[in-house]
Amino acid sequence: MTDTDSSVKQTATADRAGSRRLENPGHRRFEWKSLGELGALIVLLVVFTALNPGSFLTGANVRTVLDQASQPLIVGVGATLVILMGSIDLSVEGVMGAAGMTFVLLSANSRHTVDLGPWAIVAAMLVGIALGLLSGLIHTRLKVPSFIVTLGVWFVGLGIATLLFGESAIPFLPDGSLKSWPTNHTLGLPNSFWLAAVVVVAGALVARFTRLGRFTYAIGNNEEIARDNGVPVGRFKLYVFVFAGACSALAGVLATLELGAGSTTVGIGNLFLTIAAVVIGGTSLGGGKGGILRTALGVMLLTVLNNGLILTGVSPNLQSAVSGTVLILAIVAASWPNRSSLRIVK
Amino acid sequence: MTMTNGASTSILDAPTLKLSNVTKSFGPVVAVNDISLEIPRNEVVGLIGENGAGKSTLLKILTGLHQPDSGVIEANGNRVTFRRPQDAVAAGIGVVHQEQSLLTNLSVAENIAMNVASSKDRATRFGIYRWGRLNREAAEILDRIGAKIDPRTIVSQLSFVDRQMVEIARALRVDEMVHAAPLVILDEPTSVLERNETEILEREIRSLKDVGSVIFVSHRLDEVLRICDRIVVMRHGEIVAERRTDAVSEDELFRLMIGHESRAAKRPTGDRSGRQQPVLEVKGLRRDGAFKDVSLSAAPGHCVAIVGTLGSGREPLCRAVFGAEPFDAGTIEVGGKPVRSWSVHKAVSSGVAYVPSERRVEGMVGGLTGAENLTLAHPGGTRRGPFLKRRARAKLAEQWYERLDVRPRDPRMRLGRLSGGNQQKVVMAKWLLADDLKVLVLDHPLRGLDPGAAETVNAQIRAACEGGAAVLLLPDTLEEALEMADEILVMRDGEVTARFDLSIDSPTTLDLLEKMV
Repeated sequence: MTDTDSSVKQTATADRAGSRRLENPGHRRFEWKSLGELGALIVLLVVFTALNPGSFLTGANVRTVLDQASQPLIVGVGATLVILMGSIDLSVEGVMGAAGMTFVLLSANSRHTVDLGPWAIVAAMLVGIALGLLSGLIHTRLKVPSFIVTLGVWFVGLGIATLLFGESAIPFLPDGSLKSWPTNHTLGLPNSFWLAAVVVVAGALVARFTRLGRFTYAIGNNEEIARDNGVPVGRFKLYVFVFAGACSALAGVLATLELGAGSTTVGIGNLFLTIAAVVIGGTSLGGGKGGILRTALGVMLLTVLNNGLILTGVSPNLQSAVSGTVLILAIVAASWPNRSSLRIVK
Repeated sequence: MTMTNGASTSILDAPTLKLSNVTKSFGPVVAVNDISLEIPRNEVVGLIGENGAGKSTLLKILTGLHQPDSGVIEANGNRVTFRRPQDAVAAGIGVVHQEQSLLTNLSVAENIAMNVASSKDRATRFGIYRWGRLNREAAEILDRIGAKIDPRTIVSQLSFVDRQMVEIARALRVDEMVHAAPLVILDEPTSVLERNETEILEREIRSLKDVGSVIFVSHRLDEVLRICDRIVVMRHGEIVAERRTDAVSEDELFRLMIGHESRAAKRPTGDRSGRQQPVLEVKGLRRDGAFKDVSLSAAPGHCVAIVGTLGSGREPLCRAVFGAEPFDAGTIEVGGKPVRSWSVHKAVSSGVAYVPSERRVEGMVGGLTGAENLTLAHPGGTRRGPFLKRRARAKLAEQWYERLDVRPRDPRMRLGRLSGGNQQKVVMAKWLLADDLKVLVLDHPLRGLDPGAAETVNAQIRAACEGGAAVLLLPDTLEEALEMADEILVMRDGEVTARFDLSIDSPTTLDLLEKMV
């Protein structure tokens, strides 16, 4: 009696497992969906190579593209985590300005303020962390939407940068300092890109293998259920905002090095580019779905697009209109399968 | 959690859970009254009762969401106090809630480990996930309940029955907290499942007995009789009976659940249910997965009540009639004309009104004043072109506040600040003031109302009927259906299982319930 029972049960469960294997690819980490973005990138590369046979696919231009991609890649790592959580960080450019200015004024420069050497980078990172902490605390403790908090912190950052800048002459980094590091090559590629690559890989590992990363996905899926499952939601949101602040600060230092001078608006253009890259990469603005490597793909797509358009001779005045259109098209394409279930769009 | 260790020797034979004289009240309402209950080891205990019998309050006490006012809870022979849900977990009580509580974008293994991951676990030490170990542990526990699910699968790709198995597996992990048999509480786990999936789950639940004890809550008595060893019946916050499954019939359980039987009063066969042209006619309406082949018709002044348990499909049906949800096949005719590309907007303009059960979410705009809410759907004479006539609106609002006895009688007060009963009166009035109200769809109009407010609302429903509207009512209780309706439809699993024309029949609550479950 018990024998027949258990055998019946076994066949039943085996059937179920079998049918599932047919229906669902299951846990497979590789997703066909991500091929869309990769395909778009390849198409762009082919098209621009065909249009600019002598100039697009050259060593110099590849290095230029990778160097241009480095700042948005670094910012994108933090931005992806924040968006995965269902929040948003608009403070990117402000944090970059404040951190960059801190870095310039604490290292050897034409104003001869203080020279802390490498500690200037640490100080700049601390400024970013502090601003991230500020956003996170206001967002989680005072329950202010992240959109508004980070919008405010953006301008707080710009304000700090302006205050630090003061009334004196522009602080230039002297020749022979770290200034040339980002554009120098290691193994044929610019150092700025290597830095970005390290940050992206580290970010991807954090997202996949740490409690911080996994809880970020959990919170983005459903904050209420995550809380019921014992996730300390407020604390981990705070960590993610701090992480994003640190990323922005690092990008701010890099941008300042490349510029060779202190500027409050050193981060200009990065906010649009990174958020667009996150979305184009396929990370859902609602949270819970997506990933850092996808964002990296999105950044490469947009950077190649900008670079290719310039080489092809499209007016730079048309650039932003093209980027904006691409962003909107990407969002429409991404949300197309779910459009009937989007009952309310705010 | 406090533990006054009784005697460690008794741990082996003490019941998994023991409640003594547990009472919980909310204000003047006693939700759970002096309950004593034992859940022995390796038994499946069924818990049944009508809506509002106190089942969910009892479950919330057992899972640490509510704290009892008095009484003693013992787990495995030790006295315990649950201040937070984690305390219940620590005492070896795992729960599978009625709503799905899995994170659908994460893998099965992550979901099973989530509670533990947020505390300290070897698979996630120092915040680092060791996927190999995590997956192995999840596979072990899934194996223990006989579920063949790959722990690396993303939850959103699982069928509902597999998701339930994952929830059960996760609930079972509590046994790592106490080194004793766990208690798993299943709160209507089959309500989201298809028939054949239910059978699989039933088999799995029975096999849980080898691992620990189970409290199984369900609306379906046949299911309870198949799965459980013992059945506990609750009514009005008390345990009214405890029966061994082999010594009880479905009929007896019905009677125990309901207590007394109410019978519908015979309706006059006069003009009210007369031979008039129906104002609402639904033919063969179907939506896959919700309801199928539903036909009904309502003449002016006629009240049709639809009864059924959760998941019977009556809610989606009435939302489809109002155009708030789509349907796949069938026709709806309002005022003799079939509707085409039905939407809420069209429904409202052709005289259909809907009072939703989620009043705060769907029925009103809490931030607007009572007067503004009142004229939201049918501005009537309070608007000229795009402009509002404030004075006309104020006057109209005052009339309706007077008529429905809304308190405080100040239409300029924001609606969100009124009590539930008074809010519901305003929501009703919003539709009643329409000149051409044809069909009034009422989704649990009395939910959460005190008896006084309920009486006013019922009086308005009758007034609407007398004014020539047809009413489609989803009542909270069977008594409400028997009191208000001219015709009662019983639904089960998306199909109409019985119809009672109250001018001919006078069914009892038992008659209705039999067709429901």
